[in-house]
Amino acid sequence: MLSASLFMKCGFAPKVCFTDRSAALEILAREQRAVPKGMGRTMIKQNKQQKNASLRIPLSMPFLPLAVDFAGKGARGFAYTDKESHSLELAVEELFSFYVQKVAADSAVELEVEDQGYRLALSISFQMANPDMRAFNLVWQVNPDSEESLELLGPMIAARSVSSLRLDFGNDDRITLRMTRNRDYPTTQVAALPPPNTQGPVRLVEPSSSDLRHFSAMVSASGAPFIPGFLASPGMAADMLAAGHLNAILALRGDWIIGGVLWRPLTDSCLELYGPYLFNDDPDDVVLTLLLDEAVGRISRSRFRGLVRRQGQLQGYERFFDLLGELDLTGISGAATRSTYYYRQLREEGGGVVYCSGALATFLADQYNRLCLPRQLRENGGEQLRLRDASVLAVELEYPRSLAIIRPLCAGKDMAANLAAHLDLLQNDGINNFMVEINTGRSEDIAFTDALEATGFVPRLLIPDAGLGDLVIYEHRVRKQQS
Amino acid sequence: MNLDLLIPEYVRNFEAYTPSRPDHLLQEEYGVSHLHRLNNNENTLGPPAAAVRVIADFSPDLAVVYPSGDSYDLREALSRRFDICRDRFLVTNGSCEAITSIIKAFCQQGDNIITADKTFAVYEWVAEFSGVEARLVPLRDYAYDPQGLLDRIDARTKIIFICNPNNPTGSYWTKQVLIDFLEKVGENRLVVVDEAYCEYVEDPEFPDAMELMERFPNVVSFRTFSKMYALAGLRAGYLTGTRDVVDVVRRTSVTYSVNVQAQMAAKAALSDDREHIAATRTMVKQARLFLCKVCTDLGLETVGGEGNYLMIKVPINDLLMYRRLMKRGMMVRSMTGFRFPGWIRVTLREMAVMESFAEALTEEIREIRNVRV
Repeated sequence: MLSASLFMKCGFAPKVCFTDRSAALEILAREQRAVPKGMGRTMIKQNKQQKNASLRIPLSMPFLPLAVDFAGKGARGFAYTDKESHSLELAVEELFSFYVQKVAADSAVELEVEDQGYRLALSISFQMANPDMRAFNLVWQVNPDSEESLELLGPMIAARSVSSLRLDFGNDDRITLRMTRNRDYPTTQVAALPPPNTQGPVRLVEPSSSDLRHFSAMVSASGAPFIPGFLASPGMAADMLAAGHLNAILALRGDWIIGGVLWRPLTDSCLELYGPYLFNDDPDDVVLTLLLDEAVGRISRSRFRGLVRRQGQLQGYERFFDLLGELDLTGISGAATRSTYYYRQLREEGGGVVYCSGALATFLADQYNRLCLPRQLRENGGEQLRLRDASVLAVELEYPRSLAIIRPLCAGKDMAANLAAHLDLLQNDGINNFMVEINTGRSEDIAFTDALEATGFVPRLLIPDAGLGDLVIYEHRVRKQQS
Repeated sequence: MNLDLLIPEYVRNFEAYTPSRPDHLLQEEYGVSHLHRLNNNENTLGPPAAAVRVIADFSPDLAVVYPSGDSYDLREALSRRFDICRDRFLVTNGSCEAITSIIKAFCQQGDNIITADKTFAVYEWVAEFSGVEARLVPLRDYAYDPQGLLDRIDARTKIIFICNPNNPTGSYWTKQVLIDFLEKVGENRLVVVDEAYCEYVEDPEFPDAMELMERFPNVVSFRTFSKMYALAGLRAGYLTGTRDVVDVVRRTSVTYSVNVQAQMAAKAALSDDREHIAATRTMVKQARLFLCKVCTDLGLETVGGEGNYLMIKVPINDLLMYRRLMKRGMMVRSMTGFRFPGWIRVTLREMAVMESFAEALTEEIREIRNVRV
C-alpha cells in the first residue's frame, strides 16, 4: 500500500497564504474500495442525493473521448461553468492518456464525479499490476532543461489544471486518482466593519452560510494579515460551511459581528484553526477567550486528537496553545513571511514509541522534553528496510509562498539522489522554500532521515499526533540560504 | 468486508472513549517512579472496614459460580437501608450501565434526552451511540440551569438527566429548586437524578431523590458504590424508581452483570458506613480548604462545591498542564473533554498527597510565570 504524488498550482489571491487554491497530487495508502462488477458496461447514475454520477468503461485509448466527455458533461450537469468543467476535461485527458499506457489490455476504469457544493470531486480508479513506482516521481524521466522531456509530465499538467490531485494506492493493485476543482469565486465583497467600541453583551452563534459569507467579507475588509484562500472568497467559505467541510463560531454584540473563529480538518487526526479574527478592540482578550474556549469545547469530543494554528503570532497564546516554532518563507515576490505554529492536544496523551536515530533522534528528544510528550525514543541503529531500488516522493506546491512540501511515499536505495533531483527540478521551477514532512509512525518515512541530512535538510518543527504518529517538518537550509 | 454497510450511522460517527493507560505504562512513559491518581475522584481512604474484610476473605470457591442474577441480597440490604421495596432497586455494573439501560428502555430514534453541556459525559455518549438526540443546555454560573432545561423539552423528550451535585463543578440544586423543576416538567417524562456524589453533601437543603419519587413518580435516582464507598474497581451501582419504571429498565439490563465480590462488598459497605462517611467528609473538607488556599495564594481561580473534587483554572492549556504534572507524578483530569478548556479537576484526598500536589502545582506555576523557585 503506497502512494506517490506530484503537483499542484496555486492561483493568486490577495493575502492568501495557505493551500486552498493550490492543487496537489499526493499518493496515500488506502483500503481498497469495492469494485463494481460489469466491465465494459457504461452507466451514468445519480445517487439519492442527486450529487454524483459514475461511469465504468475499458481503460483503452478508444474510450478516451467518452471519459473526457463524462468529466465535462458531468461538471456542467452540476452547474459548473465552462471554464471549471474544461479544467476537469483537461485533467482527465492527461491522466487517462498517461495511465492507459501502463495497464493491461483488458483493464477497466471507473470515473465518478461528486458535487460537494464549493467544488467538484472527480475520481479515476483502475487496477495496475506491479506498477513501476518511479513513474510517480515528479522527476521521473524528466530533464528540467528539456522542453521535450517536460511534455512527458501528463500528471503534472493535470495537477496544474485542477485544485487538488491525489493518488491513492489500495489493495489488489488498485489505484485511485482523486482530484477536485473548486468553483471560481470572486475574491472581494464589500462589508462594513462594526464601529469601534460597540457596547453590550457578547453572544456566540453558529453562523448560517449567509452569516459566514458576510463575515468572510469583513475579514478581508479588516486587513487581517493572514487570510486563508477559502476565507478570501466569501462565497467559497459559505459553501464549505454548507457542505460540512468548515466550522465556525461568530461573536456578536448587538447586531454587529465583532469577531469569529473557524476550523477544519488538516489531517485525519488534526484540525487547523483560523483566527480568531476580531473587529473591535478586545481589552483583556475577553472575546478572544470566549471564541477559543467555545471552539475547543465544541471539538473536544470529536475524533480529532490535536488542533494546530499556523498563522501569525497570538498574544497570550500560552493560555490556549503550546508553541511549536516558527518558519520563515521567502515568497515568489521575494517578500518574507513568518508562520508561527501553535498546537494543543484535544485529549489526554496516549504515549507512543518512535524508532529513529541521528539528528532526528536528537531533535525529537528535545521537542518531546520541551512539550512534555511521553514518547519512548528507541534507537533503530540506522537499520534500513529491505529497500526497493526506487524511492517515491510526493510534492505539493504553493506558488504564492514559493513553497514545495515533499512527502516520502516509498523508501528506496536512491533516496538521497531522488531528493536532490527534486530539489534541482523545483528550484528550476522558481521555488524558494523546501520542506519535507516525516511521519514518525511510518517506517518508510523514518528511512529517509539519513538521506534528508545528506541533502541539507534539518528538522525544524514537530506537530504532535498530526499523522499516524507525529509529523516532523524538515526545512532545507542550504537552498533557503541560496535563495 | 465493508463494515460501513453494517454500522448504523450514529455508531459510525461516534468516537469511542479512550481510557487512561495502566499506571505502570504511564510511569514508564513519563519517567516517574510514582503516580498519584487525582483524576478519577476515587476515595483513597478505601472501602468501609466491613467491605475490606469481605474482600480480604473472598474465597476462590465463590468465583466458580454465577453471581445472583438480580443482586438479591444487595437489593434486600438497600431495601432495609432506605425503607423502599427491594423490587424498586436495580443493581448495575456501575452507574454507566444504569444510564445505558434506562436510555435503551425508554428511548428510540427520534427521541431526545436533555442534560447540561458541561457534566458527566456518559449521558450524552450513550444517547449518541444509541441514535438518540442529546440536547445540551449550557450551565449558568457553573450550575444546571432549570429554565434552560425546561425550554428544550418537546414531545419527544423522554429523559432529563440532572447530575446533583454536578461533576465537575460541584454545584447542586437544593430540594426546593428540584421540586420546582419537577412540578414544571410534569409527569410525561423521566427525570433522572444522578446522585453519585450525594454522600459527600452535608447541606440539609440537599434533596434526596428517593424521597421525592413518592411525590413525583417520574423521578429516578442513580447512586454508586464507586465514589464514597471506594469500590470503583468492583463496579457496582444502583437505580431506584417506581416499581413500574424499574420493571421496564430491567428489560434492557444484562442479568449477571454485577459480580459476586462486588455484591458482597457493596452489601457489607452499606452495613458499616457511618464512620467511613464521616472520616471521608473530614478528609475532603480539609483537602478542599487547603487546596483552595494554595490556589488563592497562586492567584488561580477555583470552582468547587460538593463532591471530592475541585476545578482549578490554570494559566496554560490544560492538556499541557496535565502532561507537566504527569512528569511530576501527579495525574489530574484535564477538562477540555468536559468542555472546560484551560481547567483541571483535582481529586481531594489525604493531606500528604495534597501537599505533594500543591508543591508540584506551585513549582509549575512559578516556572510558567518565570519566577525563580
